[in-house]
Amino acid sequence: MSALLRAELLKLRTTRTFVALVGTALVLSLAIVVLVVLLSDDLTEADARELFTTDLTPLFILVLGIMGFTGEWRHRTITGTILAAPERLRLVIAKVLAYAAAGALLSLIVTLSVMAVGSLLLSVTDKSTVDISDLADVLWRNLLVAALLGALGVCIGGAVRNQITAIVGVLVLSFVVEPILFGVAPEVGKYAPFSATNGILGFIPFSDEVPLSEVTAVLVMLGWIGLFFVATAQLLRHRDLV
Amino acid sequence: MMPPVAPVEIRNLTKRFRGVEAVKDLSFDVQPARVTGFLGPNGAGKSTTLRALLGLVQPTAGTATFAGERYDKLDRPSTHVGAVLEDAAFHPGRTGRNHLRVLAVIGSHPTSRIDEALETVGLTEAANRAVKGYSMGMRQRLAIASALLGDPQVLILDEPTNGLDPPGIAWMRDLVRGQAARGRAVLISSHLLAEVAQSVDDVLIIAKGELRAQGTLEQVLGGNEETSTEVKARDLDRLAQLVQAQGHRIERTGDTLLVLGAEPEQVGEVAAREGVALRYLAPRGRSLEAAFFALTADTGAPAWGIAAPATPPADGAAPEEPT
Repeated sequence: MSALLRAELLKLRTTRTFVALVGTALVLSLAIVVLVVLLSDDLTEADARELFTTDLTPLFILVLGIMGFTGEWRHRTITGTILAAPERLRLVIAKVLAYAAAGALLSLIVTLSVMAVGSLLLSVTDKSTVDISDLADVLWRNLLVAALLGALGVCIGGAVRNQITAIVGVLVLSFVVEPILFGVAPEVGKYAPFSATNGILGFIPFSDEVPLSEVTAVLVMLGWIGLFFVATAQLLRHRDLV
Repeated sequence: MMPPVAPVEIRNLTKRFRGVEAVKDLSFDVQPARVTGFLGPNGAGKSTTLRALLGLVQPTAGTATFAGERYDKLDRPSTHVGAVLEDAAFHPGRTGRNHLRVLAVIGSHPTSRIDEALETVGLTEAANRAVKGYSMGMRQRLAIASALLGDPQVLILDEPTNGLDPPGIAWMRDLVRGQAARGRAVLISSHLLAEVAQSVDDVLIIAKGELRAQGTLEQVLGGNEETSTEVKARDLDRLAQLVQAQGHRIERTGDTLLVLGAEPEQVGEVAAREGVALRYLAPRGRSLEAAFFALTADTGAPAWGIAAPATPPADGAAPEEPT
């Protein structure tokens, strides 16, 4: 398993996709932080804390995870991958762990950068800054969400297989279906795969609803990951690669 | 005492896709230190058989094993089996070297093997270029390097000369012969029959999912063969009448006469006796193409993409029974 995991991480490092996504997530997240800090006059410490939480990493790591599996089908490399790693279940597990790790790493880079630049700007503009313990609290929450979404992305990609369908599907789900569901029935909507991450982050953006507890949110996320993992494993296990 | 286990064993292999039997009760072995040609028309079941052997396709019945073990149960499979499949694909943005690095990590091969494999296939200079910039031949060489990375005991090659230029094809021939000389078992599927004939020790011919012939190249070529002679003469019409009068059947293609059932000496004697000047006289051996067409005649083999042989198989030529 260790060799498979290292191989998956090596695959990630040896294409431009990971670097491009990290770069894009970093630039966009920094741009949001800079604009909000510079354009807001009455930014409280709670606002700043929330600002450091709402970076774009989750979206990018989700897409990265999807591409991690659908890319095997898109580039027809799945046959070679399974020849090298014929135990298909172990292959799926290795991919899930690799993209969870990649998600955490991507989030670490983006969150630390956003925190450094944001804190500097807050300080320079004489606005309330976030103390170090709160920054640490934000950091682990961001890392956990990114790791879980990395794993979820891989499992969704493995189950759906078509890259475009999978990416468009999760974007529609996260930006259209879940907000509508949350608006209509927030008690149900909180358990949807992307809304559940709010429980880990500790707040629901633009809402006064109480989020799921951290433990519940993690369990819900693991449930969604498990669901798509089983679907992926079953589909791959029984599929003839002709 | 138990018989030794062959490096590749196919036993009663059957594969059905949605009710269509692609492979029917197929059984054969591939032996060490031998190159075995695996031949058949399109849709004969070659690729399905190879993919079942490599764990990519689940057999409906039967087994396909390497030294008695299923591919997916092999410990570090790349040290046992190297495979080049017809549709070998690579991530276009990854370099050739990085592709091999990934495989080396999975197979726990030392980094030095990457350089050795690249050198073996002549890709050292292009190793750090993204695969999207590779020609088809270079991709094929990279696929071969991938297969050789673990220095495996068995090589499975599905159309390995695809995309290779003539020097590349000659190189491939040397490679497979070299692997066999080192005791490796090589199973090679190809549609280049003349090329296969130069490389293989043993031949398997399948059609419609069934084994039609197996044995050494000589056995398959010699089976049910009728002696025949190719001859060219100044007065070909007269010579044709003379040999027909001797009871031989003839076939004429352009300025060449094929005399079926006759040794060159017999044809030469007739020509000398009747004063017919000969320009060419040679025995006509049965080619692998001819054997192939004889054994797969019921599949419409010319659609396979190669020219039909000048000489159709002799009437009544029966394929060797599968064993």
